Amino acid sequence: MAAVVPLSPERHRAAPKPAMLWTLGIVAIASCLVTAGLAALNEELYQPALRVLLVWWVTLPYIFAGIVAWRRRPDSLFGPLMILAGFTMQLTILQWTNQPFLNTVGQLCDLLVAAVLLHMFLAYPSGRLTGRIERAVVITGYVAAVGLQVVILMLGGFSESHLLTVIKDQAAAEVVQNVQLVTLSTLALISVGLLWRRWRALPRWQRRRPAQIVIDCFSLTLVMLATLLLAGAFQLPGFEIIRLATFAVAGFAPLAFVAGLLDARLAKAGVGELLVQLRASPAPDLRELLAQALRDPTLSLIYWLPQYGSWADEDGNPATLPEPASDRRATLVEQDGEPMAALVYDATLGEEPELVEAVTAAAAIALENGRLEAELRARLQELHGSRSRVVEAEQNERRRLERNLHDGAQQRLVALALELGVLAEQTDSDPATQIRLKRARSELAESLNELRDLARGLHPAVVSGHGLAVALESLAAATPFEVELSTAGLPRLPEHLEVAAYYVVSESLTNVAKHAQARKVTVDVGVSDNMLIVEVVDDGVGGADSERGSGLRGLADRVEALNGSLRIWSPAGRGPAGKGTRVRAELPCG
Amino acid sequence: MRVAIAEDSVLLREGVAQLLTDADIEVTARCGTADELLARVAQDPPDAVVVDIRLPPTHTDEGMRAALTIREKYPDVGVLVLSQYVEVGLAMRLLADSAEGVGYLLKDRVSEVKEFIAALRRVADGGSALDPTIVSTMLKRHRSSDPLDSLTPREREVLELMATGASNAGIAESMVITQRAAEKYVSTIFTKLGIPATGSESRRVLAVLLFLRS
Repeated sequence: MAAVVPLSPERHRAAPKPAMLWTLGIVAIASCLVTAGLAALNEELYQPALRVLLVWWVTLPYIFAGIVAWRRRPDSLFGPLMILAGFTMQLTILQWTNQPFLNTVGQLCDLLVAAVLLHMFLAYPSGRLTGRIERAVVITGYVAAVGLQVVILMLGGFSESHLLTVIKDQAAAEVVQNVQLVTLSTLALISVGLLWRRWRALPRWQRRRPAQIVIDCFSLTLVMLATLLLAGAFQLPGFEIIRLATFAVAGFAPLAFVAGLLDARLAKAGVGELLVQLRASPAPDLRELLAQALRDPTLSLIYWLPQYGSWADEDGNPATLPEPASDRRATLVEQDGEPMAALVYDATLGEEPELVEAVTAAAAIALENGRLEAELRARLQELHGSRSRVVEAEQNERRRLERNLHDGAQQRLVALALELGVLAEQTDSDPATQIRLKRARSELAESLNELRDLARGLHPAVVSGHGLAVALESLAAATPFEVELSTAGLPRLPEHLEVAAYYVVSESLTNVAKHAQARKVTVDVGVSDNMLIVEVVDDGVGGADSERGSGLRGLADRVEALNGSLRIWSPAGRGPAGKGTRVRAELPCG
Repeated sequence: MRVAIAEDSVLLREGVAQLLTDADIEVTARCGTADELLARVAQDPPDAVVVDIRLPPTHTDEGMRAALTIREKYPDVGVLVLSQYVEVGLAMRLLADSAEGVGYLLKDRVSEVKEFIAALRRVADGGSALDPTIVSTMLKRHRSSDPLDSLTPREREVLELMATGASNAGIAESMVITQRAAEKYVSTIFTKLGIPATGSESRRVLAVLLFLRS
């Protein structure tokens, strides 16, 4: 059975203990009850019931969404941040009591909520602040929310119930408070800009619905918060209504986040559909299906090939796992403790590990097939490479031999023939010697002819020296039947291509001469779309077969070794059924 | 007559030079490369050059290119190309639009001393010398409704000689007939093949080749 192992470059954190999460939930509910109790005890509170409901509305969603997020994404700090935001809001209600210490804590936390929200929104979705500006905004936020709050309290701001009053200077306290509110408001608006910028920076396919709703909710909450803070600073009318609306909106942000998590769940439900699609016949494109199921068009599949001890892509080309620091992540599929395949996807998908794991597990069998296929392709490539090398080595060796014959034996024999020729001119010896000399010369001439044929059969030097067009013209001229040759516009090409094309034509013409009983042959050689195309068509009896004739088979090997293809159409019989033989070779030359 | 030689095999180069010297031909340069030949021809143009088609450094087409360059730049210098193989395609390229002052022979032909010297003299004088294998190869081709079929064996023999660049006198000597008889053969062949009769011997070489190729 295959096992799915996410390969996350981040340090793995232990999942929070269920007991702790339960405790947090119970504390949250208990603190809500405390809120209700405090509201009941405080007689000065304006609209106590509504205030209590609003506090519940903004705290419970944060805490419970945070608990869900923490449990499901232990690697992300976003869950704990949400829980922190929820409890910070709970702490603010302590200012409803007159108990001096609790009241002080409540006063201190009053604007800390705003700072924590800024922190949380800017840390979406990893729970970490990534940019320098983000960090600066959050730190400034905390300083303004807590530091300035302490100053205000020391100046005797707000109620009398807290412990921090040092001197009473109401005017100074108000100035500091206004600075604080305007600062936090500005930071909230800057954060909206930062969220928007981050959204725009995402590639289009990554701007998925759930994330979009979350970002929209966060932005709206921040705008409302900024408005509320400004309304507080400048004592705008309708402050209570703005506060109400801000609280109402703030409660939606964690709900949107949970909806996003559920959406990953829903996508997971799509795994069933994936299973059905995987069984479809003919076998579908596995990568395509997985990309759809994971909604990541950049997804790629790589396979572990144990024989090669390396990773390979679907075509069998060498591949590597993503670097830890890159924006790609991988999930390994293991079989019997050995890696089998890996899904490589965009880092943002790492936020939905269950989905990746579910999809990967569903595709395990198909992945095993995919691996076998990749292995086959790798072997084919290897085979192709070795065939190319064999053909190339053979060609090089033939060229070397031809060259050696040409520069060695042939030259020496010609020089010898010359000597004998001169000798025959000068000698006045007896007729018997003359006859023997003559015989020796004609033997030598015959040897030279045989040697010439041998050397020429080894390697068509005229192709290397003067190009395919010239070589084919000679070939056509030496053919005992009519050849219509067309090489118009043919450029010089790499030698191995020209030689291969030359052999295609010469072997085809030899076959025509032997078997086809043709009256006429047309030879067309040209380059089109980076392909060298060689076509030899005769009007003979047909019936040629590349599997039977070793000549045509060898030709196909030679052409295929150069990544080309050789096709033969040769319906047997003359007349309507047989239309001669057509040999067509296509060789990539781009 | 003055001749420059380009041949990278020392043995053969010296052999040919000796052969020419023995025939009272002045050898003006003995070169191992195409560049050397071009330089020597530029310095002191001879009446003809004998050039190996494969010369260093790549032993592919250096000799051929040098031959074409000399044909273009020094029309008065005859060019006799020697090769281990003769290629119809190369002959057509070498002759291009004129067979005047050009020869293309199999290297072995140097051993037929008299014929070789005669061919060289012909080329130096603006005539032509094509290896007989070229025209015999082309004649082997069978064509449907071929006007060549109407030629008698003797006429075919004359045609082959004509295509090698032989003069009427040369044809007469080879076939052991009178020069008048040779002239008669030639005009009959031209009529049968429908080739317009041309004056010079080198022009008729080209005419015959073009006819055979078509």
